[in-house]
Amino acid sequence: MVFNSFNFIVFIIPVLLLYWIIFKRSSVLQNVFLLLASIFFYAFADWRFLILLIASILLNFYLGLKIHNAEKESKQKMFLNIGLVFNIGLLLYFKYFNFFYEGFFKALNLFGLDSNHNTLKILLPLGISFFTFQTLGYLIDVYNEEVKPNQNLLQFSVFIAFFPKILSGPIERAANLLPQIEKKRLFSYNIFTDGLRQILWGLFAKMVIAEKCAEIANPIFDNFENQSGSLLLLGAFFYAIQLYADFSGYSNMAIGVSKLFGLQLMRNFSTPFFSTNISDYWRKWHISLTTWMMDYVFTPLSFTLRGYQKKGLVISIIATFILVGFWHGANWTFVFYGLLHGIYFIPLVYSGKMNKSEIVAKGKWMPSFKELFKMLALFVLIMLTDVFFRANTVTEAFNYIASIFSYSLFKFPNELLSSSYIIGIVLIAFFTIVEWKHRERLHDFEISNYNIIFRWSSYIFIFLLILFFGKSSETFIYFQF
Amino acid sequence: MEAVIIKEKIKEVLVSILEHENFDMRDELTAADVDGWDSLSHMMILTKIEEKFNIKFKLRDLNKLKNMGTLVTVIQSKI
Repeated sequence: MVFNSFNFIVFIIPVLLLYWIIFKRSSVLQNVFLLLASIFFYAFADWRFLILLIASILLNFYLGLKIHNAEKESKQKMFLNIGLVFNIGLLLYFKYFNFFYEGFFKALNLFGLDSNHNTLKILLPLGISFFTFQTLGYLIDVYNEEVKPNQNLLQFSVFIAFFPKILSGPIERAANLLPQIEKKRLFSYNIFTDGLRQILWGLFAKMVIAEKCAEIANPIFDNFENQSGSLLLLGAFFYAIQLYADFSGYSNMAIGVSKLFGLQLMRNFSTPFFSTNISDYWRKWHISLTTWMMDYVFTPLSFTLRGYQKKGLVISIIATFILVGFWHGANWTFVFYGLLHGIYFIPLVYSGKMNKSEIVAKGKWMPSFKELFKMLALFVLIMLTDVFFRANTVTEAFNYIASIFSYSLFKFPNELLSSSYIIGIVLIAFFTIVEWKHRERLHDFEISNYNIIFRWSSYIFIFLLILFFGKSSETFIYFQF
Repeated sequence: MEAVIIKEKIKEVLVSILEHENFDMRDELTAADVDGWDSLSHMMILTKIEEKFNIKFKLRDLNKLKNMGTLVTVIQSKI
């Protein structure tokens, strides 16, 4: 049940009414109801893995308490390790088993050994990459004494299974979400309407921008061998926008839906294309994943390698980004995607320009030429790297990029004059201007500071755009992860 | 070792790595307040501090370092 479906509307309206009218009296009632709604939501998507989700909740809850209550450090570590093995094991089995299994037989082939084998048909439980990362983070936080373990199984279950984020994140942290679940939520008109605004913008990003870009990019990628360099460049452009609109749109919807229940999830995208260097970009792209990787992979790794100075940093960054890539799926294309991003950091490490930058052109209408140039250059780099994200194999991605840089790059693509492309570009321009305008706000469509007439005309305008140009598809790119 | 002396030594480390002195060594100072003190320079700063005081941090200590005050306390507990 995706947010932009009729089923979801039928589900969410009664759930919201019951939540705020019948179950508002105490946090216990609110949590019981949220848990039931979340179980229904998950089971509706795929009931077969409900048992797995419940088992994961129970075991991680128990381990959190065990880690905290153990007196000796060695015992604490033992319980942590059990948790790491269980959670990472789940992920490895369901998501990566065939990748390593095939790799093993390919290696045997190299030595001329017989390799008659069949890969296993393993179904990927929905949301597994998201909820296992959340439970892993929780256990590590408890072990590091960053958070106290939650003593209440009901609250903990809501923390893991809360339906707006179970399928595709944001990957929440105990320190942010648990305290909110522990308290009774009071209805706030402002938060509720802000949630609705964010959902509207998410719907627009997904149903209009991402779908339009997909419509243009798909035929180019599917038949890239026969396209001119200039058209391939356009294909890469539309795909980069599609990827962003798809996942940032999804995240805005998830965060918005969650606000309707009075729970504030973490921000997941913060206008990443308005960055002037790669490190800034990653501070704004899929924030819940990158901060997770920062805290639980990069920090320990760079700490261990701190004796090697900048070389140690470079190794840690590259290893972290390979993992970021690999998290997306068991395919070498994702490994390459991560590796390339890691490599882009090297000049920054050596020039010492890793500082968090200010918001581009803060307080101004327009960026300077220098800022604009840097943003465009970064965008082109990211857009070309996204080809690895989209392609089926690494070779295909290399061929695609090599074909861009051919003589036909200078051939004018006639497709650009077709109505589909023109509409796509105009819509993207509108999308970009709105996001640019709100790059300093708390989300991409936080327009509470405007007057009521402007606000309502904006809602109606965007609603009409969705009505006229929107397409509904039941899939999101990030569901496969 | 007294906190003042420890702070003086930490300051030397910060200046040598960040190449500026635009910060004030109060207990509430956090990395976010200091230009250039990010996750990358953090590790270099810690390595230099380890050398200077001849101590070794543990991974778990890292999470306790919330601000200048806690950094001084953690160092004191190790000398």
